[in-house]
Amino acid sequence: MLRLEAVSKRFGRDWVLKDLTFTLARGEVVALLGPNGSGKTTLLKLMAGLLKPTRGRVVREGRALFLPNPPAFHRHLTAREHLLYDLAFHGREGDWQGALARYGLPEDLPLAAFSSGMKKRLALARLELLSPDLWLLDEPETALDTEGRELLLKALGKGRKGGGVVLATHDRALAEEAADRVLWLGAA
Amino acid sequence: MRAETRGRPGKGGLGVGRVWLLALRDLRLEVRDRAGVLSALTFLAVMLFVMALALGPEEGALRRAAPGVLWVALAFLATLLSTRAFALEVEDATLDDLLLTPGGKEWVYFGKLLFQMLLLLPLSALALFLAAGLFYLPLEKALTLFLTLALGGLGYASVATFYAGLLARLRGREVLLPLLLFSLVVPVVLAGVRATVGLLEGFPVAEVASWWQLLLVFDLVYLTAGALLFPLVMEG
Repeated sequence: MLRLEAVSKRFGRDWVLKDLTFTLARGEVVALLGPNGSGKTTLLKLMAGLLKPTRGRVVREGRALFLPNPPAFHRHLTAREHLLYDLAFHGREGDWQGALARYGLPEDLPLAAFSSGMKKRLALARLELLSPDLWLLDEPETALDTEGRELLLKALGKGRKGGGVVLATHDRALAEEAADRVLWLGAA
Repeated sequence: MRAETRGRPGKGGLGVGRVWLLALRDLRLEVRDRAGVLSALTFLAVMLFVMALALGPEEGALRRAAPGVLWVALAFLATLLSTRAFALEVEDATLDDLLLTPGGKEWVYFGKLLFQMLLLLPLSALALFLAAGLFYLPLEKALTLFLTLALGGLGYASVATFYAGLLARLRGREVLLPLLLFSLVVPVVLAGVRATVGLLEGFPVAEVASWWQLLLVFDLVYLTAGALLFPLVMEG
């Protein structure tokens, strides 16, 4: 599903990651744990193809989507408009109304009025609708309430069925509950 | 030292539908945000009035200055709109999302370019009518003058879109963009000014048409180069 071969990443003079080798099997969920600045987000962006490794190679199978923290949305669009544009840009069709209802989100409220938790729910609904092969999530549990966390766990199950999931988190309980294995990142 | 994607590559090709959709989405965002359109309109009005006041009231002097004033207005409008095209993504941090859509990235380039043209063309028409009132331009030539502005605007916006994308993630992009842009679009501006002068001075059609042809050639070259290079500069 995803293979990293001796991947290193440097920003200026600072090495964020050094010689990292990693494989994600189909249907696997892997949690990235590590202190702030250990390179979790950089690693997710490398996996997504948003960054190029300084050294080494990233091999991906299928489509990857990256969920940043906080999630990125156009604040002047409504949830309905955003999902419809996203579906069209990705050449997909899906039950966006059902997805919004499942995640308890209003259709016609501008996203500027959404709370952080609502945006996180919308990001999960979006991932579910676009159903990429590889889900790359940066601290997906942040800002979610108890119900939102349940929705996240369900969404991770769908991501697993869809292909595979890599999530960066500081929440060890979530990592133990949702992931098949944990990758620890320390200082490079 | 590279990232590879194997297996299902996603929907490839340019996707004319996606191009239109991106342009219309950006237009919707711009209309709701209003910042770009309002600053463009304000700039246009202030610039034309100030130049008319400074150069007037003698009709001959105003007419002679009109081509230059029109093209300065067009150049600044196109630069401002190209910045807006990517500011919409940068302000909401959605550029990465756009780049993770399946297929090539040319459609993003054409979508952003189309968005600019959808704003630039009406603004050019407005500039033309304001200039007609302030600079004594003959309105019977409005159509051919507009065609000249449209041809030049397309060439200018083609390069501006490319550079705006290239600089989108950099601090100080508003300063860097004109520096990089103006040197490359000099031929378009020169050909545009000459065609406009030709139209206003009543030069033979063949002479004006040769400037139009030159503008068309630059448009095609810049469009092709922009579309080919844009995906490369947007990667990691």
